[in-house]
Amino acid sequence: MIQIKNLSKTYGHKTVLSAINLELKCGKVYGIVGENGAGKTTLFKCIAGLERHKGEIASDFDNLKNTTGLLLTEPFFFSKITGKEYIQLLANARNIKLGDLDDKNIFNLPLNDYTSTYSTGMKKKLALTAILLQKNQVYILDEPFNGVDIQSSFIVTELLKKLKKLGKTVLVSSHIFTTLRETCDEIFLLRNGMIIKKVGCEDFSKLETEMKQFTIGNRLEKLDL
Amino acid sequence: METYFVLLYKFLNRKMIDFGLPPLIAYPLMLIVFFVLSQYLFAKTTIAVYAYVLLALVIILSNSNRKKNEFLKSIFPQPKYWALRIIENGILSIPFLLFLAYQQQWLWVLLLSITAPLMICFDFKTNRNFTIPTPFGKKPFEFPIGFRKTWLLLLIAYYVCWIAITANNYNLGVFSIIATCFICMSYYNEAEKAYFVWIFRESPSTFLFEKIKTALIYFSLLSTPILVGLCSYFEKNILTLIGFFLLGCAYLSAFVLAKYAAYPRKINIPEGLLITMAIILPPILIGVIPYFYDQSIKNLKPLLLDSN
Repeated sequence: MIQIKNLSKTYGHKTVLSAINLELKCGKVYGIVGENGAGKTTLFKCIAGLERHKGEIASDFDNLKNTTGLLLTEPFFFSKITGKEYIQLLANARNIKLGDLDDKNIFNLPLNDYTSTYSTGMKKKLALTAILLQKNQVYILDEPFNGVDIQSSFIVTELLKKLKKLGKTVLVSSHIFTTLRETCDEIFLLRNGMIIKKVGCEDFSKLETEMKQFTIGNRLEKLDL
Repeated sequence: METYFVLLYKFLNRKMIDFGLPPLIAYPLMLIVFFVLSQYLFAKTTIAVYAYVLLALVIILSNSNRKKNEFLKSIFPQPKYWALRIIENGILSIPFLLFLAYQQQWLWVLLLSITAPLMICFDFKTNRNFTIPTPFGKKPFEFPIGFRKTWLLLLIAYYVCWIAITANNYNLGVFSIIATCFICMSYYNEAEKAYFVWIFRESPSTFLFEKIKTALIYFSLLSTPILVGLCSYFEKNILTLIGFFLLGCAYLSAFVLAKYAAYPRKINIPEGLLITMAIILPPILIGVIPYFYDQSIKNLKPLLLDSN
């Protein structure tokens, strides 16, 4: 279990996250929704230990960072590195011995090609494959559906369900509500750096309706189309 | 079109400032280095002029990648686009043309003046499907990436070693070892994103030890052909050759540590100065290496030890 108490983060005078309190259990998938700039990525980086922050993050693991797989919104790739080498790099980092990678290439990626030749979706799938092969206990996935084709998004959805069955803790953000509805046990609504709502699966539809009303409101009328 | 060149000039200046050199110093320094290296090449080999023109064309071609050209085509009308490309190639060829003129190689001046603008007909695909194989795949990322970017330079270092043997020039042989070391050092010039440090499970000291171990093993692999060749030819100088190789190992280790001593920023003036001092006076390494090590540990701690 991971317990986040009073987590806050500021960049200079700007408060990005404020008094975040969360409890993430094993074998559960948690969703985070919020507008662009709401603080989702910062929160993910803080939990992973990539960003310094105020507040406390406690977990059952000896070292949370060493068992966390982090998928960033826009994973970074070196220019002259192949897909296979990228996976190898991430596996080496966690002392994982990899067998035949071609068998584990669930997204049929051209692993012997440079990652610079990959499309946005392919890069996302490669980064996801790499962190899955690290055999982590916790997965923090920042928009894993972003840019991937529809076939792959089916695979990602099933993967999330599988991770849940395996007792892993998954925290996922997405702008596609249906994917979260299908996979999450609980969804947190992040607005202006604060968790303003925690919703169980029975109230997902209500949350979606509320979000739509709040977001759309009478904005379109302003355009005077 | 003027805006494009002004932007290029600003971009170049920013690169120099990022590297820690003010443009006022960097431009004259570049000219001096270019002149000295060109002079050295022409003094050392009879085929310098061919290599020189080839090098000029490679540099001009490397400036022409498809993505960039497509972007330029999308924002400039056709005539302006071609004019811009010709001017760009012309600017790149000027230093080579001037030096060829200084060497009174008029035929080659003429040839390069004609071929440089013609190079606009070639679009270099940056996303080539061909993957250059490397023996370093087990331990990405510095050596596989560096090798793919500098394989031509490594070939030149091997070629210099071969010239040293055929011309019975021991100093040139030593130069090829030093050149290989410097090429390998360049692989550690860029600071990777924090994510690629964060992913490691090791403590900062183990992390650094592993990085240095990988660097030394792969440097040995790349310099073995040179070392074996030189040692078998200059038998009397085996000990000094091994000494130069070991010194190369020490510099490489210092450079790996310098990278993380500067981390998360790139190696800059303070680290560069210490490395330069150590190159001039190698015993300084005894103090520089522990200093870089301490700084590296300090910089890596927040990322490698659980901050939560």
